[in-house]
Amino acid sequence: MNTLLWEAAVFARSTYLQYVALFQWATIRGYIAYKVLLPVTQILFFVELGVYATGSQNALYFALGNALQLTANAGIFGVIATVANERQYGTLPLLLGSPANRLVTFLSRAVVNVIDGIATVIVALAIALVLFGLDLGHANLPLLGLCVLVISLTTAGLGLMFGSIGLVMRDAIIIANVVYYALLIVCGINFPVSRLPGVLQVIAYSLPLTRGVEAAREAVAGASLAQVAGLLGGELLVGATWALAGYALFIYLENVSRRGGLQEAY
Amino acid sequence: MTSLVRAAWSAFRVSVRLRVISPWAYLNWLVFPLIFATVGLYVLSRPGAPSSHLVYGVLGGGLIGYWSVAYLDGGNGIQEERWNGTLEQIFGVPTPLWTIILGKIIGSLLFGLLAFLPTAAFAYVGFHALLPNVDASRFAISLCVLTFSFFSIAITLTPLFALWRWAFSMLNGFELGVYVLCGFMFPIAILATPLQGVAGLLSPTWATRALYASTVAEGPHDFMLWWLLAIGLSLAYLVGAYFLYSLVEREARVSGELALA
Repeated sequence: MNTLLWEAAVFARSTYLQYVALFQWATIRGYIAYKVLLPVTQILFFVELGVYATGSQNALYFALGNALQLTANAGIFGVIATVANERQYGTLPLLLGSPANRLVTFLSRAVVNVIDGIATVIVALAIALVLFGLDLGHANLPLLGLCVLVISLTTAGLGLMFGSIGLVMRDAIIIANVVYYALLIVCGINFPVSRLPGVLQVIAYSLPLTRGVEAAREAVAGASLAQVAGLLGGELLVGATWALAGYALFIYLENVSRRGGLQEAY
Repeated sequence: MTSLVRAAWSAFRVSVRLRVISPWAYLNWLVFPLIFATVGLYVLSRPGAPSSHLVYGVLGGGLIGYWSVAYLDGGNGIQEERWNGTLEQIFGVPTPLWTIILGKIIGSLLFGLLAFLPTAAFAYVGFHALLPNVDASRFAISLCVLTFSFFSIAITLTPLFALWRWAFSMLNGFELGVYVLCGFMFPIAILATPLQGVAGLLSPTWATRALYASTVAEGPHDFMLWWLLAIGLSLAYLVGAYFLYSLVEREARVSGELALA
């Protein structure tokens, strides 16, 4: 019991420190730029593109897809940046030298970003609803909220996977950029996954977001939890798999960086 | 004069060589344009979609890449000297600052132009998409006007980013907003009227409009008006840039506080 309490305290402390020291958007200007302007303009761009191509009746399709994809902004950029910033600020060797439980330290990286991801989606969706006069009258809103929570968790799982690469890579944030924008192509954000070639469809369903976005679209159409339980279960399973794979990679690369003295190779 | 050209040429060479080995440069001219082109082509190439829609998919990714390189690499001409610790040397040499910046920005724009190659190739190979009715001479002139427009903006942003670091974050966050306002992937005519008003103040909007009009037969073709608007607005930006460079010189040489800005 004492061990459990101790680990919980480490988790809470690590989460708090991650927020105060590494949450790179914790300035008013930074938050406005990357947490308000970026989400709003991303939705504006893709909704206008979709409306131009397919007509205004499909605005909700594009707004919802892109609003949900914004969770990846926090889950991927945020989580990858925490490791990259440890390296940049010179605190990575201290972290790797500490006796703290690695799994606890590793998972604590995602907490603030999951909360931030949920906040981003809520703000972005609210703005999209006002800007484009979208109607959520038929939506199952509690279920939509659950979808947002699940997607925020699963994209953070993907972020943990790629964040591990930051242990041995100088410009890990480049990976974040590529992964974040590649999700726009493969996860059914702006067009159905079924239009992709077979190989990309396999990749799509092995990534977070794809099932979550499908579930959210059904929730907006009024579906019940029972109807989308399979999609949400699959989404959680995919996210957990990425997070666990990320943890395994973290442990492996920690050893590699320690052996090669690469902790400060930036 | 010869020494100025030589200095600009050196800055150009160094700029290009640095970009060849920079993973960020490849992200901007290759990866991002391809991703946006892919999404654009999928969305715009529905069965039965008019060919004018597909044109936006063919050129849109390239325009996005070109702009990204122009404002990120070109605009950070002074900032990157600060990051690399060479800011004082740049101001200490007898060569005028604008000569060095000129060479660097031309190097960036050259890289930016590369963005059209992978996106056009992908559009052709992946979607069999072509530009249906290209008016070669007007297309070339429009591209030159667009290049001048991007050049003027990069020249203006360079001192702006150096003086106020937050300006870069704001524009970086607003990047997709620029795609919207400049009509890189769809015509600005579909935007709300106030947004069209704002878009009209941006020189790339008019150059982009001319570029797209030169690839389709239908629609208005007021090329001369669009070119003049783009060039006029670009010249206005350059006037603003003149004052910003004076401010940078003052911060760097008189108060010595530019490195702290």
